[in-house]
Formats: sequence, C-alpha cells, structure tokens
Amino acid sequence: MTQKSPYPYWFFLPAAVIFLGLFIVPTVASFYFSLTYWDPFEARFAGWDNYVQFFSEPFLIRGTLNTLFFAFVTSVLKTILGLLLAVLLTSGIFGQSFLRSVVFFPVLVSTIGVGILFQELMHPTEGAINVALAAIGIDGPGWLTNPSLALFSVALVDVWRGVGLATLIYIAGLSTIPNDYYEAARIDGATRWQLFWRVTVPLVWPATTTVIILSLIGGLRLFDLVWAMTRGGPGFSSDVLASVIYKQYQAGFWGLSTAGNVILFLLIALIVAPLAWWLNSKELDA
Amino acid sequence: MTQVSLHDLRKSFGAHEVIKGVDLDIADGEFCVFVGPSGCGKSTLLRMIAGLEGVTSGTVDIGGQDVTHAEPSKRGIAMVFQSYALYPHLTVRENIGFGLSLARKPKAEIAQEVEKVADILQLGPLLDRKPKALSGGQRQRVAIGRAIVRNPGVFLFDEPLSNLDASLRGQMRIELTDLHARLGATMIYVTHDQVEAMTMADKIVVLNAGRIEQVGTPMDLYEKPATPFVAGFIGSPKMNLFEGRVAEQQGCDVYGIRPEHLTVSDDEGRWKGTVRHVERLGADTILHVEAEDIGTFLARIEGHRSYRPGAVVYATPDPAREFRYTSR
Repeated sequence: MTQKSPYPYWFFLPAAVIFLGLFIVPTVASFYFSLTYWDPFEARFAGWDNYVQFFSEPFLIRGTLNTLFFAFVTSVLKTILGLLLAVLLTSGIFGQSFLRSVVFFPVLVSTIGVGILFQELMHPTEGAINVALAAIGIDGPGWLTNPSLALFSVALVDVWRGVGLATLIYIAGLSTIPNDYYEAARIDGATRWQLFWRVTVPLVWPATTTVIILSLIGGLRLFDLVWAMTRGGPGFSSDVLASVIYKQYQAGFWGLSTAGNVILFLLIALIVAPLAWWLNSKELDA
Repeated sequence: MTQVSLHDLRKSFGAHEVIKGVDLDIADGEFCVFVGPSGCGKSTLLRMIAGLEGVTSGTVDIGGQDVTHAEPSKRGIAMVFQSYALYPHLTVRENIGFGLSLARKPKAEIAQEVEKVADILQLGPLLDRKPKALSGGQRQRVAIGRAIVRNPGVFLFDEPLSNLDASLRGQMRIELTDLHARLGATMIYVTHDQVEAMTMADKIVVLNAGRIEQVGTPMDLYEKPATPFVAGFIGSPKMNLFEGRVAEQQGCDVYGIRPEHLTVSDDEGRWKGTVRHVERLGADTILHVEAEDIGTFLARIEGHRSYRPGAVVYATPDPAREFRYTSR
C-alpha cells in the first residue's frame, strides 16, 4: 500500500477554512444559542424554552402560512414567466439582445432600492400605478395598505425583480437543446404548441429544476423586500417567518429569534431537500 | 408513385450561393445517394427536399406534387438525422410512436403500428428502454423505426452512420439495403463516404461546390467518371491524377489511372520509382511509389508482396483503363 501524499489537501485547506468559519461554526453556534437566553455579554442555558415560546407565538401560524404562500406564488410565477420570456428571447425577435438586458436589469438593482421604489409606485393615492389606472377610469386598490393584498403585491414585486435570473437560466437551458429535436418534430407534424409542450418543456427540465429550487429557497427566506415595502404590515398581514424573527430580535429576544432561525433553516431543508430529490429524479437522461 | 424531381433548385445564404441550380430526377423506389466532400451542399440539398431549409428559387416535386413551399409534415417524407434525434425522456416505444401521438391517433392504433415496426427492426425487447440504455446501432434502428412508422413515400437519411464505428457501419449498410429492398420506398441518403455510396446506391449524385458533377450508377461513376473531381472522389484508394508535364505527354490537361489498373513489376515497366510506404491490407497491398519523372502515385497489387520501403519497382498503366480530361 502506498500512502497518499498530503500535498493535494493543502489546496483544499483555504476553502475548508472559509467554509468552516463562515458556515459550520455559525450553524453550530446558532443551534447552541437557540438553547440559551443570550445577549452580547452572557448566555444562560434555557433548554427548549425558546422553541416552546416560538411555537406559542400568536402570529407564528400566520407568518408560516404567509411564507409558504409567498414562496409558492413567486416560484410558480418565476418558473412560468421565466420560461416564456426565455422562449421569446431566443426566438430571434427584433432587439433580442437589448430585451435580454432589460429583463435581467432588475436582478442587478438593490432589493431595498426596489422595495422603496415600489412602495412609492404602489402608494394608494399618489403612486404612479394607481394614477395610471385612474387615468383610464379604474379605481386602483391599496396595493400595500389592503391587508388581503399586501403580501401578494410584495410577491409580484419579487417576481419582477427575480424573473430575470430565471430567464437567464432558461436561456442557458434552451441553448443546449439540439435543433434536430425540433426539426424531427416538425417533420412529424408538430404544431407550435406541441413543439413547446412536447419538446421544449421536457428537454429544458434541468433548468426548470434549478429555477424552482432557487426561487423556493429565496421565497422561504425572504426578508429584505417585505421589510422595505410593508414591515410585515398592515398589522401582521404580510409578516413572513423572517420578519417575525427580526421583530423578536428587535424586541431583545435574541435567543428566541435564534431558535426561529433554526426552525426556518429546518423548514427550508425539509421542503427543499425532498423536492430537489424528486425534481432531479424526473430529470431526463441524455 | 413517389418520384422526386428537383428543377433548377438554388439556395443562397445572403450573397453566398450554396446550391447553384440543381436538376435531378429520382425514380420511385430508387436508393439515391448524395455524395461529396464537406461543404459541397449535399446536406443543404436534402434539407431543402425535407422542407427544413427554404428554397431561393426552383421547385421540389414529390410524388408529382409541387411541394416547394409545403410544410415538412405535408411532403410525405420521413427523415433520419445524423444525431438520431431520439427524445431522451421518452422510451423507444414512445419515440417510435411520437409522430402518431402528435397526430392524435388512437392509443391502440399507435401501439399496433409501433409493434409492427419493432418486428421489422427487431426492436421488440428494447421497446421500454430509454435511448441512453441503447447502443449506437440500436439507437440508429430506433431512429429508422420512427421514420418507418410514418409510412412515408420518401425516406431521407442525413449521414446516419457517421457516428458508428467501422464494423457497425458495415452491418448497418447491409441492414439499410435490406430494408430498402423490403419496403420498396424511395430513399435519399447523404454521405461523405464514397464506400457507403458505392455499396448502397442504385444511383449516386456526386456534388461539388453546390453543383452536380455527375449522376449515375456506382459502376458508371467508377468506370466512366465524367470529371477529374468524380474520378478522384469515387474509388478507394483514390485514382492517381496527374497534371502538367505528365498530362501534356498524354495529350490532355489531367491524366488519371486507378491504383488497381497499374501493373507492378520488379524488372520493367513504363514508370520507374522507389517504394516509399507499404500498406498491407491482407487481400491487397498498396504501394506509395515516388517516381522521378511523374511524382508520387499509388499502386494496388493483389495479395501480399514483400516490398519494403526503398525497393525499386516499375509500374505500367492498363491502356484500356486510362482517363484523359481536357478543359476545352
């Protein structure tokens, strides 16, 4: 038996140190601090108290349902719109490169900036959206002031901001589909709809998997856009788990908010891991 | 009756004309092979017949109908692609039945048709496999099955064997020839491999730079090549072609003699040369000979002869098999 030289492992070391310092240590520390009452000066062991208290929070159920609703709606819309935009932007239409830049541009803008901008655009009386609707005789809703509409409005803004990335992933996926598949289907008499549904959709599945997983993770842990646009309001109507956790942190319940973060982490893992496995199992075998 | 007729067919990409006026008639049930070097326009011509490539001018008639501007699916054709174009997410059964399912045929009818084709191509045990679980030859057969199930008047093949290894190519050549005999359909086959063309075709169309150089049976092209290009392209090893002084001595611009039509002797002959390289093929031996007065030429001799590089040999052309081309 020859012993393996340790030399290659030195190349692994920098990445390992960064991963350990920035991921493993904070994750383990989070689990530890979630079992304590802590502040910058001390940490007292609290057992499962923080978890018990978190689950007895009156707005927890609303926050969880909002989180799931938000993640579901934004993932579905980003997936469908991303695919349709990618098909359009690879079809050779006039100004294709310019339009690709336009679609991708919102991805580059700061989320807080987008939130503040849309807060103004969605103002019930002075916002550009309702002013434009009023000009054509439509009485626009209170996008962010109506409790039953606020979260959906934030979701629409998140889709606007994130659909560029989904489109980019789909464009990359579409470019890997050989033209022969389309030509063979055309000879077989496929209509445009059949080409899309029977050829494009199944063959672009790996991109769909990526878009769904990324959108879902982003949706489940979303905080900044909700906070910039509604701060979880009106009332608690647009609170998501992350904003509930942040409010607990603001109120000085650091151990409680850490427990909330651990629960959010587990929730994301429990939803995304089996979904990713299922989506990957459906992936075609080239 | 599914004859195919092309009339003054032209195709340009911008200012660049790639098909420069092709007139061709392919009879019903004929196995016609388009052959030529890379970039000669043979695949473009096939795609124009399929309707996958637009026509700049001229007409395409299939079965007596002008289909120049018809959709590919309305031309009564089926095509086998070089890449096979098998859908990786579908089983063999679904791939073969794909066209029928697009046409919304009843499931029972699709199943029956697929089984029939699977019997013809011996694909029965593979019907529930995905393409990734098939060998190259099996994928090729599935691609052919997908074409057969459409029951087309004309089969189009675009270099279908080029992804297979040499022995499988030989086997598939025989299978395709048998299939043609069984189906009796018109087949148009594109290849850059003159061996495929010679062994499979009823009619060979030699293309060069977007034009037809010559049309004929394989033996026509071998025995009476109309141009130096055809002479050099058809036959393996290639015909020896000489220009300049050697051709002038023969009273022409290009003088040609096939390697197998040279008699090689150790003692005497028209050209004296030195063996530079020996290819031993078992049944034949090919000598690469360098002669002072004419340059390098190939000579093919039957069986195994113990020539070594450096040996001096004499070669004499068979006078009945010489070709002389003049550009006038």
